[in-house]
Amino acid sequence: MKLEIGRIFIKDIQLGSETSVKSGVLTVDESGLIAKLKEDERIKDVKIDVARPGEKVRIIPVKDVIEPRVKIEGGLNGFPGVTAKPAQCGEGRTQVLYGAAVVTVGDIVGFQEGVIDMWGEGAKWTPFSQTYNLTVDINVIDGIDPHTHEEIVRIAGLRAAEFIGQAGKDVTPDEVLTFEIGSVFEETAKYPNLPKVLYAEMMITQGLLHDTYIYGVNAQTILPAVLHPNEELDSAVISGNCVAACDKITTYQHQNNSVILDLYAEHGKEINFMGCIMAPEHTTLAGKFRVSDYTVKLAKLLGADAVVVSEEGYGNPDSDLLMICKKCEKAGIKTVLITDECAGRDGMSQPLADTAVEAVAVVSTGNVSHVITVEPAEKVIGKAESIAVLAGGWDGALAEDGTFQCELNAVIGSTSEIGFHNVTCRLY
Amino acid sequence: MRNIIISNNPLVAEKYENVFFVDGSVEETLVKVRDLVYEGHELVSHPLAASLRVLFSPYRSVIVANQCEQLNFDHAEIIEGSICKYKKHMDVRKADEANSDDYKTVDLLLLQSALNDEKGKW
Repeated sequence: MKLEIGRIFIKDIQLGSETSVKSGVLTVDESGLIAKLKEDERIKDVKIDVARPGEKVRIIPVKDVIEPRVKIEGGLNGFPGVTAKPAQCGEGRTQVLYGAAVVTVGDIVGFQEGVIDMWGEGAKWTPFSQTYNLTVDINVIDGIDPHTHEEIVRIAGLRAAEFIGQAGKDVTPDEVLTFEIGSVFEETAKYPNLPKVLYAEMMITQGLLHDTYIYGVNAQTILPAVLHPNEELDSAVISGNCVAACDKITTYQHQNNSVILDLYAEHGKEINFMGCIMAPEHTTLAGKFRVSDYTVKLAKLLGADAVVVSEEGYGNPDSDLLMICKKCEKAGIKTVLITDECAGRDGMSQPLADTAVEAVAVVSTGNVSHVITVEPAEKVIGKAESIAVLAGGWDGALAEDGTFQCELNAVIGSTSEIGFHNVTCRLY
Repeated sequence: MRNIIISNNPLVAEKYENVFFVDGSVEETLVKVRDLVYEGHELVSHPLAASLRVLFSPYRSVIVANQCEQLNFDHAEIIEGSICKYKKHMDVRKADEANSDDYKTVDLLLLQSALNDEKGKW
């Protein structure tokens, strides 16, 4: 499978009367986009805005972040199985408006957090303070139940990204990346001496506000599935999760999954990267046993020497992570785990809700309990009342001048468990 | 009845018959689950949520097996670890009471999702 990603570097977004890219400036036809989204009769009102790096703007509550793209060769444009008919992702040429992002805003329930600050201390902690963000704030008609509300906002974001992505259709990209990996047999014949490595990507799949979709299928209903890495890089995986702000994998992060990109970079050099196992995270213990058994079985069936496992969320998914680890190691398959830590404000507590002696290679992506202090914004996109959710965690969290403290937990992508974030470690 | 739901969520108590209602906090609900696990009831759903924000919820529902067997040590470890983790977080936080109704709804919907997973089993 061969995929070319043509990156068109975006240096600004303007609202206007046509959708185009000229000299790196993305212009979005505001009324055209609103009309397109309001084709869904369940949407009452759409507000479009732009947030640029460095502006004193706060976006809250963020539901999802999506990279605008257009398919110009092979497959179908859009998100197959959701905004387009079913089609194979991962082949041909996709053009990306690189540096731009669609950010959906909308409170489905009152306790949603998920903040992006475009400036100052808050901006340091989220990767989406560095993108030019087109915000899409969706209000739905009365009488909509929470499940339908979530679906409306999720799909509106995808449709907005598809609409804007069209601007890149006839533009010559600034950079073209090629991703190509053949069948397991071909790659093993090419690299017989390299360790065969799989990537097991865990996904929150537990119901309202806690879901992930693959080709439009709710992953709660699947057994672990093998994906070619190109499929995820080409928009096959979509986030329906909007509560675990710091470590949820947004659709943008699926489209640019850092673990996949890093494993690709080592393919044919240090490792033979064989593909991804998409592993759902269930709430039931039976579901956790089933998924961990099945993941290990797929790894054995494919003859993997090692599996890199990334988690999504915190709490009950810690059990899945360690079950996969224990069972793989017992089967002679080495594991590397990627997870964030919930280690208390001083970082000294036991970081996960579960432990295992087999978990000896663990990459931490940061402490979600770390407290940061942020200044008041000059402009709030979304729902200013949601700031009370962030600032109301404990006595003294909110100062009189509007400065407040919150945990990294509330910041979008701050401790991304697939490594798409700003936190890092340095050796001294 | 194959399962019992241990819950402090009034919406859950209204909707289902097989509920042991805890008129108290999430911590008291988890302690009741722990007592049942030590009596030999297995955990059906995990006691913790999948995200911190839902961990701050004032309502929690956990499913355990109705049948009483021998103590399952793995399950005892899971519920003890869950209580420790829960207390660790809530010691430094206030429960988010302002959004109680939404938390009730989400707890109910996540419970329904877990029960769907259990359908068609004996």
